[in-house]
Amino acid sequence: MNFIKNLWNGIIPENPIFRLALGMCPTLAVTTAAVNGLGMGLTTMVVLIGSNVAISLLRNFIPDKVRIPAYVIIIASFVTIVGMLLKAFVPFLDKALGLFIPLIVVNCIILARAESFASKNSVMNSLSDALGMGLGFTLGLTVLGIVRELFGTGSIFGLSILGASFEPALIMILPPGAFLSLGLLMGLLNKVSQAK
Amino acid sequence: MNDHFLTVSSSPHIRAAHSTNTIMRDVVIALVPALIAGIIFFGINAAVLTIICVLTSVATEAIIQRLMKKEVTINDWSAAVTGVLLGLNLPASAPWWLAVIGSVFAIGIVKQCFGGIGQNFINPALAGRALLVASWPVRMTSAAFADATTSATPLALIKSGVTEGLPSYMDLFLGNVAGSMGEVSALALLIGGLYLIIRKVISWRIPVVFIGTVMIFTVVFGQDPIYHLLSGGLLLGAFFMATDYASSPVTPRAQIIFALGCGILTSVIRLWGGYPEGVSYSILLMNICTPLIERVTVPRVYGEVKTDA
Amino acid sequence: MREIAGLAIKLFIITAVAAVCLAFTNSITKDKIVEQIALENELARQEVLSEADTYEQIDQNSIISAAESLNFENPEIVAEVFKGLKGNDEVGYTYKVLPRGYGGEISVLVGISVDGIVTGMKVVSHAETPGLGANATNDSFQNQFNDKSTEQPLSVISGGSPGDSEIEAITGATITSKAITDGANFAIEIFKEMNK
Repeated sequence: MNFIKNLWNGIIPENPIFRLALGMCPTLAVTTAAVNGLGMGLTTMVVLIGSNVAISLLRNFIPDKVRIPAYVIIIASFVTIVGMLLKAFVPFLDKALGLFIPLIVVNCIILARAESFASKNSVMNSLSDALGMGLGFTLGLTVLGIVRELFGTGSIFGLSILGASFEPALIMILPPGAFLSLGLLMGLLNKVSQAK
Repeated sequence: MNDHFLTVSSSPHIRAAHSTNTIMRDVVIALVPALIAGIIFFGINAAVLTIICVLTSVATEAIIQRLMKKEVTINDWSAAVTGVLLGLNLPASAPWWLAVIGSVFAIGIVKQCFGGIGQNFINPALAGRALLVASWPVRMTSAAFADATTSATPLALIKSGVTEGLPSYMDLFLGNVAGSMGEVSALALLIGGLYLIIRKVISWRIPVVFIGTVMIFTVVFGQDPIYHLLSGGLLLGAFFMATDYASSPVTPRAQIIFALGCGILTSVIRLWGGYPEGVSYSILLMNICTPLIERVTVPRVYGEVKTDA
Repeated sequence: MREIAGLAIKLFIITAVAAVCLAFTNSITKDKIVEQIALENELARQEVLSEADTYEQIDQNSIISAAESLNFENPEIVAEVFKGLKGNDEVGYTYKVLPRGYGGEISVLVGISVDGIVTGMKVVSHAETPGLGANATNDSFQNQFNDKSTEQPLSVISGGSPGDSEIEAITGATITSKAITDGANFAIEIFKEMNK
């Protein structure tokens, strides 16, 4: 029961992007296309699951006084491993996400979940929390990527939707487009959840 | 205290018979010569585009205010002014949907999302233009003459190093050059600007300091100041955009600093930037600085003792 | 003192385990990553000099000395030269040049056949503005370089129909077009200098 509740919590009620507004840097920078958003979200989720589970397992081993260095080492190792695997086996995603893969290390969602959740909860709960937060992050990035790709290039996941006569609004795939779409989506979500 | 920091002093303040309504109507009247010049040089399409902008702006304002259950204030002419200004910022070759998207963004996002009239932190028409330039740069920068042949604007010619075949001062003064519909005729813009100053709708400070700074700056760096005065959007920007009530400062000292900043940024972009023209970006950037400028130039209340010495 | 020793030992254990994990991942991905990069470069070279089937790198020092004898402002602008071979016959060269565009360095690959004809140009990586300078990766721009003679330097025109040694600029992106064409000219000069 708890498992489902934790999972759901990260997807909608405490969605990292639209609710907690965490990890804004990759959110704004890589969502120029739906596939980049999805790739970034999934990559972050893998790291988040790894670090949450590892930190939860070690929560009685890690001394309180050096917990932050310990978390950073664990998170950085997972990020580096994922980065190497991507470079070797999914080079196109590695190229698209570029610098933002190593920067997952400093993504505040991961350290925040380690500090506020995994260090105090059981392995199962930490796993479900990581899954929920990861899915919520992925969902947010993908939605943002879909919106920006649709208006900025006329296609979604590379498939042309709006046809050849559509003249894409370049601003949507430029940085201002990220702020505009994120703000409008957040506002829309607030409006919808208020109406309930 | 926090409120104090964020609030841009809103105007007009209590003063004689001026109301938002009459001020905005005067601005529209002052823009009529520029509009006529646009129609003369670019044909009927200039009028059609401007009308589309005005109608879309007013309709957007009405719809959003209705949706937000606020009082509908389209009778104050302010949305119409934004529409006309945006229209004058478009090239005559622009398609209708460009006008519609620009107007919806200017009113819907920049004006209404931040609280409606008097609350917009940047000039809505310029923000609309900036969105369009970033989104459809090719359409926004290909300036067309009435006979539909495209040609580079005078500033773009200077930028690319052309020295021969530039339009004469007289062509620039009357408006017989390529450019946005409302920026080409210096004569028409001067008539409108003088009207606004005489009617005391705007003060002389911002336009005079803005234009003066650009001319001095360009002279210092060895360019023709009269050319920089007459070409591009400088006159349109200095008289009609930089003087926007909500997004420019109110106190005289702050206005001078504001206009100085606009002038310097415009010249820097024109001389060394990637774009040939910098009026719109310089005004937008200074709009953002307005609260800070006002904060450091608050006039001392009579008799108040300076505390932060 | 004993407390600090305890903390240090625990942190050491964590870092040691992390190091082992990283070393292990590195050992399985290292070759694969090198292979991916080599494959990518090979494909790019194929595109600009399709006649060749193997490529041999030319010593960097000889390129720099050629660039210096030509008085290049930046002798390292031509970063890599490969000799293209078909069987044992020399068919041409590929040049990697790094001109500065509007948004920073552009990596351009130029192929030139032994008889002095440009066989192709490809923009490998860039940071130009989407919708303007980024259009340099379009075939309509890249293919303009095909079959150009190296007799005289290429020049950029905007509007009108380009002549024999002219490249039509990308609409609204004269700076990018000029940077790439200049880059190609550097490759051409090096080609002439080294094949006198």
